[in-house]
Amino acid sequence: MMSRLVILSANSLKGSGPFGAGLVHASRSLHTSSQSRAPVPPLPETGGKVRHGIFPEEIFQLLYPKTGVTGPYMLGTGLITYLLSKELYVINNETLSAICIFSVIIYGVKKFGPSVAAFADKLNEEKLAKAQEVKDLAMSGLTQAIENEKKEQWRVEGRAMLFDAKRNNVAMLLETNYRERLHMVTNEIKRRLDYQIALQHLNRRLEQEHMINWVEKSVIGSITPQQEKESIAKCIADLKMLAKNTQAKATV
Amino acid sequence: MTMNLFNQFLSPTFLGLPLIAIALMAPCLLYPSPAPWWQSNRWTTLQNWFIGSFIKQILSPINTKGHSWALLLATLMVFLITLNTLGLLPYTFTPTTQLSLNMAFAVPLWLATVIMGFRNSPTHALGHLLPEGTPTPLVPTLIIIESISLLIRPLALGVRLTANLTAGHLLIQLVSSAAFSLLLSQTTAASLAVGLLLLLTILEIAVAMIQAYVFVLLLSLYLQENV
Repeated sequence: MMSRLVILSANSLKGSGPFGAGLVHASRSLHTSSQSRAPVPPLPETGGKVRHGIFPEEIFQLLYPKTGVTGPYMLGTGLITYLLSKELYVINNETLSAICIFSVIIYGVKKFGPSVAAFADKLNEEKLAKAQEVKDLAMSGLTQAIENEKKEQWRVEGRAMLFDAKRNNVAMLLETNYRERLHMVTNEIKRRLDYQIALQHLNRRLEQEHMINWVEKSVIGSITPQQEKESIAKCIADLKMLAKNTQAKATV
Repeated sequence: MTMNLFNQFLSPTFLGLPLIAIALMAPCLLYPSPAPWWQSNRWTTLQNWFIGSFIKQILSPINTKGHSWALLLATLMVFLITLNTLGLLPYTFTPTTQLSLNMAFAVPLWLATVIMGFRNSPTHALGHLLPEGTPTPLVPTLIIIESISLLIRPLALGVRLTANLTAGHLLIQLVSSAAFSLLLSQTTAASLAVGLLLLLTILEIAVAMIQAYVFVLLLSLYLQENV
């Protein structure tokens, strides 16, 4: 794990610091590699494989052809034996404290490792989900805009019909209004003419009555008393004759 | 034996060359630098989360003017925690056991808060020297006591960190040497000592983190008073 850390930090330091930039971009300035910034090559999803937490898998693969599966373990055992027997590493009190601290560390990593990793993954997932949400909202907004646009285009096609209908409407209104006014005008004229007619009738009737009254008055005035008596006697004689005739007709 | 116990606190040299610079700079190699891509790996995410939540918690009682101290406090916290916890590994040197280092952290930072307080609002800063509601006869005594407590703060900060870590390391050495020397002759006593050592190790991990946190917390409190 520590070796991995050193490699990682060395990698990260490569791009930073006063000499780092020169190292990374040296090849780029000399155009010796075909590196380009886009598209960025995909990053590995997980870290390098390690065995027993610290030893990279590459060492095992490296030693496999020559020494097989047990090679690295033999190497480890031999190294420890050499260090202990030659007293290059002396077992003293620090060894005990080393055993204690490493057991605590290993216990902690084994117990809390997966939950901490899941927590870190959760943080990353939330970050990704937020960005995804923004992207999804933008996409749905744009598709909605496309649909609205299509609907507007469809509406434009029916615009001519709409205008025709409106035009018909207006024409009908105008026609109705015109006819109304025509009727009104007709009625008004008729009323006036009726009035004139009534006036004429009235005038004629008045003239007639006046004339009749005048004729009657003049006739009645012209009848003398003598004439009146003669006419009454004649009327009586006529009446008697008529009575006689009717009597005769009745008996017959 | 006494000589042996304190050897761990000697500033490391190799063939006469002081290694203290490497001891102080090396821990930063363990932390991932921010990558140019948008979604970081687990280490970087955890690091970002830790620093973010720590700063949010520590700066919440301080007003906006004091927020310019955020980077300093975060760096200090990360540095102290790293030095303390790395010092628990075997055969390592813990720079924070040196009083010189801790005083070099405590005095300038404390002095900065005090000078800032006296420069921005001197009456308010002087007012801190007298708690509210003290009876009048006690006022001179209390002012002297409060100013002594003010002046002792950097000493307390530095010595607290030094003493805690030194004591922890010494205890680990003592108990482990006791266990080691008893290992062959009286194994039961040795196993008890090993049990004690295990508990002590757990305590020391906790103390390492807590002491770093307390250092930074107290500094933020002094800052809050004076900003």
